[in-house]
Amino acid sequence: MLRKLVLRVVLAAVATAVSLGAWASPSVIKIGTLYASSGYFSQASTRQYDGLKFWVRQINAKGGVYVKAFGKRIPVKLIAYNDQSSTMLAASLYNRLITQDRVHTLVADYGSVLTSVAVPLAQEHRIVLFDETGTSGKFFRPENRNRYIVLTGLPTSSQWPKVLAKFMHSKGIRRVAILYAANDWSGSQAKTLNQTLKQDGVDVVYFHSVPDSTTSYSTILHSIAEYKPEAVAEFGYSDNDIAFVQDYANSGLYFPMVFIPNPALHFEVVRKAVGNKALRYIYSYVAPPIIRYNREVTYGPTLNEFKAAYAKAGGKNVDLSTVAGFNTGLIIQKALATAPKFTQESIRDAIDKFSGKIFTLDGLFKVNRYGAQVGEFLPVGQVLPTKTGVALKAVFPSESAVAKAVYPAPRNK
Amino acid sequence: MVVAITVLAYVFIPYGYNNQFLLFNMMMYMALAQGLNIIYGYTGYLPFGYVGFFGAGAYGSALVIIYLHWSPFPAVLLGGLAAVLVGMLLIPLFRLSGAYFSIANLAAAEALYYIIANPHLASVTQGPYGISLPQVYDPNAAYWTMLAILVFALILSGLMRRSRFGLALGAIRENPVSAEMAGVNVVRSRAIAWLLSAFIAGVSGAAFGWYISVFYPETVFSLSITVFAIVFVLFGGSGTLLGPLVGTLVLYGAYNYIGISTPQYFQLTYGLLIILLVLFLPSGLTSLLRKRGIDVP
Repeated sequence: MLRKLVLRVVLAAVATAVSLGAWASPSVIKIGTLYASSGYFSQASTRQYDGLKFWVRQINAKGGVYVKAFGKRIPVKLIAYNDQSSTMLAASLYNRLITQDRVHTLVADYGSVLTSVAVPLAQEHRIVLFDETGTSGKFFRPENRNRYIVLTGLPTSSQWPKVLAKFMHSKGIRRVAILYAANDWSGSQAKTLNQTLKQDGVDVVYFHSVPDSTTSYSTILHSIAEYKPEAVAEFGYSDNDIAFVQDYANSGLYFPMVFIPNPALHFEVVRKAVGNKALRYIYSYVAPPIIRYNREVTYGPTLNEFKAAYAKAGGKNVDLSTVAGFNTGLIIQKALATAPKFTQESIRDAIDKFSGKIFTLDGLFKVNRYGAQVGEFLPVGQVLPTKTGVALKAVFPSESAVAKAVYPAPRNK
Repeated sequence: MVVAITVLAYVFIPYGYNNQFLLFNMMMYMALAQGLNIIYGYTGYLPFGYVGFFGAGAYGSALVIIYLHWSPFPAVLLGGLAAVLVGMLLIPLFRLSGAYFSIANLAAAEALYYIIANPHLASVTQGPYGISLPQVYDPNAAYWTMLAILVFALILSGLMRRSRFGLALGAIRENPVSAEMAGVNVVRSRAIAWLLSAFIAGVSGAAFGWYISVFYPETVFSLSITVFAIVFVLFGGSGTLLGPLVGTLVLYGAYNYIGISTPQYFQLTYGLLIILLVLFLPSGLTSLLRKRGIDVP
C-alpha cells in the first residue's frame, strides 16, 4: 500500500516536473535574422536590420518583451548573420538559426529573393517566419498550405499599383506605357497595373520588359514616345529607376506623367543620384516615413515619436526599410504579449486574432489567412518643388493627399 | 577509399550536426567541383559559364514537375539531360580556346539566364517570377539524392583519371595537335568530357532546386556558383580526385566559418586566402603532397 502511494507520488512529481519543464520560461527570447552588409540588397537590408535592432534595444531597456504565456518580461537576444545578399548563404544561415541556434522567432532578410529560401525552411520546421519586405505573391498562395509566414512591412507587390491605376483613371489618362525590369517584384507590379488599366478601359499602348541590368534607356524612351502615351510607368530596382529618370531628363522627350516606384522606398538615394531638377514632378508611391501615421496609431510609437527616438539614439536616414524593421519588432511584441502559449501555433493564432485591429507607424496591420499583408496600401505621390529643394508628397487618394497633383507635368520644369 | 570516406561522412555527420543545408551545399559544391574537374582538370578548358548547366538542370527538372507532374527522382535525371542538351548546343564553342572559350561560355550562360527570365516566356519558364515547388518539397530525400550525385561524380572522375579515356583527355590538355597525331579523337573525347561535366552540373542544379523548392532565375544562374566551383578546384588541385574535395572542404568551410564569426572581414580574409594560393600554391593544396612524392588520387 505504502509502496503504491510512494510510486504515485513519484509519478506525480515526475509528471509535474516534465510539465513545468515544457512551460519553463527561457532566460532570453531568441530572435534570429539575417542582413546583408554587402551585395545587391545591402543598403535596404542594413537599414531594415537597424530598425529591428532599435526595437530590440528599446524593448530591452524596458526589461524585455512581455510574454503572456509566462506572465512576465523576458529580455530579447537578437542573433543575426550576414548573408552578403547571397541566397545560397542565406539558406544555410536560416537553417543554422533554426537548427543550431534554436531561435524562438525567425525574421527574414530584405526583399523576396533573400526571403524565398526561408519560406520552405520555416514551414518545414514549423516556426513562424516574420517576412518584413518579401512581397512576392507566390509565398502566400493557398496551395502552399503554409501557416508559418506573416508579411509585416508591406502589402504583396501585386497589390501596390492598384491605387496608381485608380489615379490614372481619375485623371482621364487613356494611353499608358508600362516598362519593367525582368524580376518578380517589378514584373508583378507591371502585370497588375496592366490588368487593372485594361479593366478600366485604358489603352496600354506599350508593355515591355528589360533585363534587370539595364542602365541605358535612351533608345527605349524614344520607342515609347512613338506610341504617344499620356503616362509612362517604369518598374525596376533603384538602379533601373535612376538610369531611367536620368535618361528621360536628358532625352528632351516629354510625357505628361512619369511614374517610378523607388522614391517611395529610398527617396534620398534616388534624389542624390538624379538631382532635384530631374526628379521634379515624377510620380511614385508614398510609404512611411514619407506618409506619417501619427493620429491613427493604436500600437507602438507614432512615426514622429519613432523618428525622434531613433535620431536621439544616433540613428540616421530613416526610410521605409528602417520602419519595416522596427514594425516587425512591434508585431512580434504584440504576438508574444497576446499568445496564451509559448508555441509557434499559438503565436500564429494570436497574430490572426489581432490582425486588422492594430494600427502601427507602418499602417494598418492586417493579414489574410495565408499571411499576406492586406491592411496597408500605397497612395500615389508626386515629387514637388519646395523652398529647399524637392519633396515627395501624397497626392492620391484624397484621404491620404497632402498636396494637389500637378498633371500634366509642366513641359519646362 | 575517398568515395567511402565521403559517403560515411555525409551519412553520419547529420546525426551530430543539424545544419543540413550547409552539408547539402558542401556536397553540391564537391559534385560541381568534380564536374568542373572533368572538363577543366582533364582537358584544360575552363568554362566560366558552368553555372548555365546548373541553372538548366534546376529549371529542366522544375518544369517537368510543374507541368508534367513528374516525381522528383526522374525529374532530377531529366534536369541532367536538359544540361546535356545545352552542352550539345554549346559544343561549337570548342572552336575557341583559352580565355576566348571561357568568355564565350560565360556569355552563353548569361544568354540562357535571360531567356529563362524573360517575362514573355513566363507561361513556359515562369519568367522572372521564379519557381515554387511546394508539392514535392522533401529536403531529406533531396539530401540523399545529392549524396548519390556526389558519389556518381566521384566514381566517374576516379574512373576517368585511370582510364584510357582519361589519358586521352590528359593528352588533349597538354597539346591537342600532338594528341590528334597520336590517334586520339580530340573532338569526340572532348565532347564526351564536356557532356559528362554538364550532366553532373545539371543533376546538381535539379537536386538543389528540389531542396530549396522556391528559387528565382538569379539564384540558379548566379555567377558566384561558377566562381566557387572554379576556386575550389584550383585551391585543392585540378586533375585529381582528392583536390576538388579538399578545396571545397577547406574553402567552403572557411567561407561559412568566417561569414559567421567575422563577417566584417569576410571579403578581406577570403581574398587573402586566394592571393596566397595563387602566389605560393598555384597547383593547389595537393601539390604539397605530390612534391613529397606522395601519389594523390
